[in-house]
Amino acid sequence: MKLRITRSLALLAGAAAFLGAAAFGSIASAKDITINMAVPDWPPTRIMQDLANKHYKAPSGNNVKLVLDFIPWPNYYEKLAASLTSGEEKYQMAVSDSQWLGANIEGGYYLKLNKFIDADPELQAVFKDLHPNLVASYSTYPHKSDNYYGFPQMPDVLIAYYRKDLFCNADEQAAFKGKYGYDLPCDPQAMNNTDWDMINDFGEFFRRGSGDTLAGETLTDDFYGIAYQAGIGYDFNTMQINGFIWQHGAGIWDETKEPDGKALGVVNSDKAVAAFEHYLSLLQHMPPVVKTGTMDIFKVDELFRESKVAWIIQWIGFGESALSPDTSKVYDKVDFAMMPGLRADDGSIIRWSNIGGQPFVLTTWNSDEVTQEALDFCKWWLTSGTQTMFAKAGGQSGLRSVHTTEEYKTYRPWNHAFGPSLDWQKDVWHIPEFFELLVQQQQEFDKAITGQISAKEAMDHIAQFQDELLREAGRIE
Amino acid sequence: MARRRREIGKAGWGRTAMSAVISFIYFFPVLWIILTAFKTHTDALAIPPKFLFTPTLENFANVFSRAYQRGGEEIDTHFDLFFFNSIFIAGTSVLLALAVGTLAAYAFSRFPLRGNDTYMFIVLTTRMLPPIIVIIPIFLMFRVTGMSGTYAGIILLYAAFNLPFTIWMMKSFFDEIPPEVEDAARMDGSSEFKVFFKICLPLVKAGLAATAVFGLILTWNEFLFALLLTGMQTRTVPVAMAQTIGGDIGVRWGLLAAIETLFLIPVVLVTFLLQNQLLRGVTFGTIRR
Amino acid sequence: MTAWGRFISENRGPLLVTPALAVLVLMNIFPLLWSFGLSFFKYRANRLQEPEFIWFKNYFKVLTDDRVWNRFQTTAMVVSIDVLLQLIVGFLLALMFEKQFPGRRVLLMLVLTPMMLSFVAVGAFFRYYYEPTFGLLSQAIKSITGEPFILLASPAGAIAGIIFADVWMWSPFVMLLVLAGLVSVPKHLYEAAEIDRTSWWRRFWTITFPYIRGLLLLAILFRTIEAFKLFDIVFLITEGGPGTSTETIAVYVYRVAFQYFKTSQSAALGYILLFVVIVLTNLYLYFVRRRAEEN
Repeated sequence: MKLRITRSLALLAGAAAFLGAAAFGSIASAKDITINMAVPDWPPTRIMQDLANKHYKAPSGNNVKLVLDFIPWPNYYEKLAASLTSGEEKYQMAVSDSQWLGANIEGGYYLKLNKFIDADPELQAVFKDLHPNLVASYSTYPHKSDNYYGFPQMPDVLIAYYRKDLFCNADEQAAFKGKYGYDLPCDPQAMNNTDWDMINDFGEFFRRGSGDTLAGETLTDDFYGIAYQAGIGYDFNTMQINGFIWQHGAGIWDETKEPDGKALGVVNSDKAVAAFEHYLSLLQHMPPVVKTGTMDIFKVDELFRESKVAWIIQWIGFGESALSPDTSKVYDKVDFAMMPGLRADDGSIIRWSNIGGQPFVLTTWNSDEVTQEALDFCKWWLTSGTQTMFAKAGGQSGLRSVHTTEEYKTYRPWNHAFGPSLDWQKDVWHIPEFFELLVQQQQEFDKAITGQISAKEAMDHIAQFQDELLREAGRIE
Repeated sequence: MARRRREIGKAGWGRTAMSAVISFIYFFPVLWIILTAFKTHTDALAIPPKFLFTPTLENFANVFSRAYQRGGEEIDTHFDLFFFNSIFIAGTSVLLALAVGTLAAYAFSRFPLRGNDTYMFIVLTTRMLPPIIVIIPIFLMFRVTGMSGTYAGIILLYAAFNLPFTIWMMKSFFDEIPPEVEDAARMDGSSEFKVFFKICLPLVKAGLAATAVFGLILTWNEFLFALLLTGMQTRTVPVAMAQTIGGDIGVRWGLLAAIETLFLIPVVLVTFLLQNQLLRGVTFGTIRR
Repeated sequence: MTAWGRFISENRGPLLVTPALAVLVLMNIFPLLWSFGLSFFKYRANRLQEPEFIWFKNYFKVLTDDRVWNRFQTTAMVVSIDVLLQLIVGFLLALMFEKQFPGRRVLLMLVLTPMMLSFVAVGAFFRYYYEPTFGLLSQAIKSITGEPFILLASPAGAIAGIIFADVWMWSPFVMLLVLAGLVSVPKHLYEAAEIDRTSWWRRFWTITFPYIRGLLLLAILFRTIEAFKLFDIVFLITEGGPGTSTETIAVYVYRVAFQYFKTSQSAALGYILLFVVIVLTNLYLYFVRRRAEEN
């Protein structure tokens, strides 16, 4: 019903555009083309607008204007979903969370890029240069297939932020060594080599009450050792828990094995339960808000910037606000390292983690001309020159030719952790049903985090729910 | 205990003092937001909370222009436009709802249709559903009529959104006017027009004021429709306000508080100006049946 | 009188109502009917499949879903406590402002401001007030007990937190309506009662109440309807947690409609909700009419 209207309107619009183009095409050779892009309102997209305004010239010679509709992050999903499903065809491009790919591709909103890539050696080169984990997470649907849909806009990974003033303090180091028998890591290299057992020690060690001494100063308020996301909103506990699950050798339901991949027995395997219990065991060292199950990435960020916690796991995207004196009380005391992992028997660290960040995509209702302009823009965005400018301004680049250079590590203090982390990234489901899976899982995890049920119960509920839902959707047989 | 008699309708000093204390306690969460608007980042979340601090106006300046990236220049945030949009959209739609709704309310009160109560109830049901249910058809309609992202679209929608309350409220005020008052005027040869504008409307001035204030308050902060049906040019403040939450930082407390503080001013002002009407109440009580 | 004039005077009612109904039909009734029709189809707005007519299956599915019943229970509890408290608080506030005293106008404004705030600000700040590390509530209690106070850690605490915020925000609405009725009670009636030495309760019931009845009903009606739609405060303060303990039906409807994109199922759920609210509001109206007839 809605679709028919959509299609006939699209036809009308197409016809009108064609007539318009025919009438005016001969008069002006350089055309004005506007590309409207829906984007979340935050620095990586603001920087993109800035760079595009200053440096982008369309190779076609047309006057291409990139208009970014900056939408606040908390409501970005609703606004984009409503616009896409309503058929208003307002946006030519959009920044999309990678999890939304399936739903919006099945809806027919995101443009498949294969034929353009096949016809364009430059685009092929770009895809070869991108880190394969980014291509898998940001571009492919079905997940890890050869169908491509997106380009990385802002790749993001979880890393550790820590207070170098505390970890490098001589008194604290001596006390730590005395208590735990090994050195408190101080520089990023040492901090890269941390596992969860050490994090547990950090958590216990840096827990101080008001009146206690911390790095030579007397505290007037409680201080906590560690924090990572444990919030019920959106994906604010799953992103961390998935890392634990993969590190422990367990798995989430595997959409690439559809329809043989199982949920029951996989999602609630003993290893997965042990992984979740491991995640839960560290919560005891975290600030009290964790008991409410609302300690999301924003609360973790705030606690860290307000100097209430010594060590956190956070997305790179929050780095600038931790370093800015306008927003951070610890701006000159922060350093960054890779996210810790599980120590294997050979002493190496297993670091699987859930990828963050967003690709941008093209929509399906554009004329060939607009599509070509949008692709040209993507190509410009993914040139090493533009990516270098973006990285210098605080963004991240998924191009291996850019992020593996020695110079790249000097742009921002967390950059050294970015490239090596990419090798350890996996992604949560991309199927259209992902949101229902996610919400139920978030709620069950939250019940365990707030102590209403055990880890085992939570995992059983999740497996049971996923089995039912995925069977109904025909994804498990 | 023999109570000292005082004029009815006047409160004693004890009651006055108690009212003041309770009002301030009630107001405290708002006061805290206003105080936060004048705080630096360091003071905003200080422990223990700061009641005395050196105020700064920086947050207010940042509402209108600020740097969005490290070392970047300050960019216009377009909040001046958003404030204008909010005032224009809320103002127009409330007046529209008041005009249309008062006529309807008068009719419902004076010339009941067959099944009057049913109509009244249907009017009400339109407010009962969570708006998310009807958002897709509204979106569809906006697209077909080209109203998406326009002032006309959102104003009409808000007017409809305000109508049920306006009609119910105004009807209850009209119901209080004894029909004899109008009939007397009609006997004197006044036209229907005159009866309505010269006799009835002045009697429900308080009702009009109260309805306008309520309508304004409900529209002023409407979020979902504003989010989904306005474009860059017609965006309202409640939608834009969310940019202070999430993204690359938890909450920009000072900025959020500053936007909210500025955003309170127009609606507080209007309410304050209409307060006399509001408090006069239903003044025709003396000639009540 | 011309024919035209006669037509107008004979159809005053319908003519006056028409503009309002036109706006309502366009902006409200049409979308309502659209989603009502949709509730009999199998349809997701974000899929390419054509809608498929499935009779009452959506309703059946929704009504046999444990999640839905659970959310309805949560909602029933929240709505009843929420509206009752708003009535009590609003009424007490109205009594406080009933009499004239110096500074009344300013103090009244102070009490009215909560309902003028945006949900984003109320949500963010109340989450902060309740937060155990920085929050004012926890700080105040910690200065006495030495332990941070974690209100939102338990389901009961989280529900209390949400109700408190909503009651705080919307009691002034009730207050204003009740106050409009209270100040219109003619003074001479009170004077007469004072001479008769009637009890406070009797005076209230026989003199005051008839004047505020209509507006009080309006307040209950609208606050109940709004409470059933309680969404922003919940979503911003607890996001339905801990677990699902504060997930109201409005939050659940939002998830079904916009996160799971089960468009037609959400429409069915919406209509079940509408039915509940209609029954409830009709009960109100019935009782009030009966009382009115008694008088």
